[in-house]
Amino acid sequence: MKRNHLVLILVVAALALMVWTGVDNYRRRKAEQEKLRQMQAQAALMSAAPAASADAGAVPVEEMKSPLEGKPAPAFTLETLQGQKVSLASYKGKAVLVNFMATWCAPCKVETPWLIKLRDQYGPQGFEILGISTDDLDKDDKKMNAQDKADIAKFVANMHIDYPVLIDGDSISHPYGGIDALPTSFFVDRSGKVIASTIGLHDRDELEANIKKALASGGA
Amino acid sequence: MRRWLGVVLASASCLGLQCAVSQKLAWQSDAKPNEHQLVQFLYPEQVTVPAGKPSVVELHFRVNDGLHINSHTPREKSFIPTQLMVGEPAGVNVASVDFPAGTDYSPAFSPNDKLSVYTGEFVLRAHITAQRCDHLVQAGLRYQACDANSC
Repeated sequence: MKRNHLVLILVVAALALMVWTGVDNYRRRKAEQEKLRQMQAQAALMSAAPAASADAGAVPVEEMKSPLEGKPAPAFTLETLQGQKVSLASYKGKAVLVNFMATWCAPCKVETPWLIKLRDQYGPQGFEILGISTDDLDKDDKKMNAQDKADIAKFVANMHIDYPVLIDGDSISHPYGGIDALPTSFFVDRSGKVIASTIGLHDRDELEANIKKALASGGA
Repeated sequence: MRRWLGVVLASASCLGLQCAVSQKLAWQSDAKPNEHQLVQFLYPEQVTVPAGKPSVVELHFRVNDGLHINSHTPREKSFIPTQLMVGEPAGVNVASVDFPAGTDYSPAFSPNDKLSVYTGEFVLRAHITAQRCDHLVQAGLRYQACDANSC
């Protein structure tokens, strides 16, 4: 009898723990979503009134135009986190957003959910995103390398990124003009030509306008 | 923006029991200055410390206007902390480096967040013991710099 009671108590305790964990996870997710929503709203406000920013004296990297615009996007082949090789060339015929990012880049976290939604919206028209992680990868220590990749994978999972994320982005930063700031995006049209680029966090409308431009350009 | 700021500690003569260590930035000695440095090393150009005795050398840096860098202890694990990497030549021991506490900073796109950052001028205190002689020490400051919209 006593044993039955003990089992019952343990079962109830386990159930209570599961419920509590579930509720706690739900609350955390909701809080994170709300925080992200506020950050995005703030980013949109900043875009509307940039002069109001406390960082108005910042280096105006956003104003620099990439010399790649109007030219073919530099070819590259990088690996996914799973080791699969992906080439930009294999996306010819599609409009591609080449998005340089990193796990330590706070503005990238604001931008990423917009990218996911825009891909959902424009994917059927032939739009794809290639996330290019510029996180450091230890090339001498296998264990550290695996940890670096695990950190990126965790970021991808936490941000619910469902487009390809390629690693070792620093290896292709030179042909892309040197990636001095993140996020940096190159909008590539269907013929493989860069038709726009942005450095830093830009509002969703501007991203969408560039995606539409890429989709409309370079078709057969 | 991840950056390394190279710091070269150049040779200097020593007098008596004193050992002199002078400090010079890599970009200061280059023919072509690096205009992309986001953090500047200010001073000292040269310091003299008693030979064989633990001494504190204060290294003054300045973050460019409009930028911030993470402190040595950022609040988020994924953020890159400011670190000083020192190559110790024979006769010089850098036991530790004290980093100042960061100040709270809320980025414009996320006003509810509080990051731990350095802005403007900040000072690192290196605990150095140098043997009597001239020394050349190389060091690098690793940091993550961001402005209102990018890192």
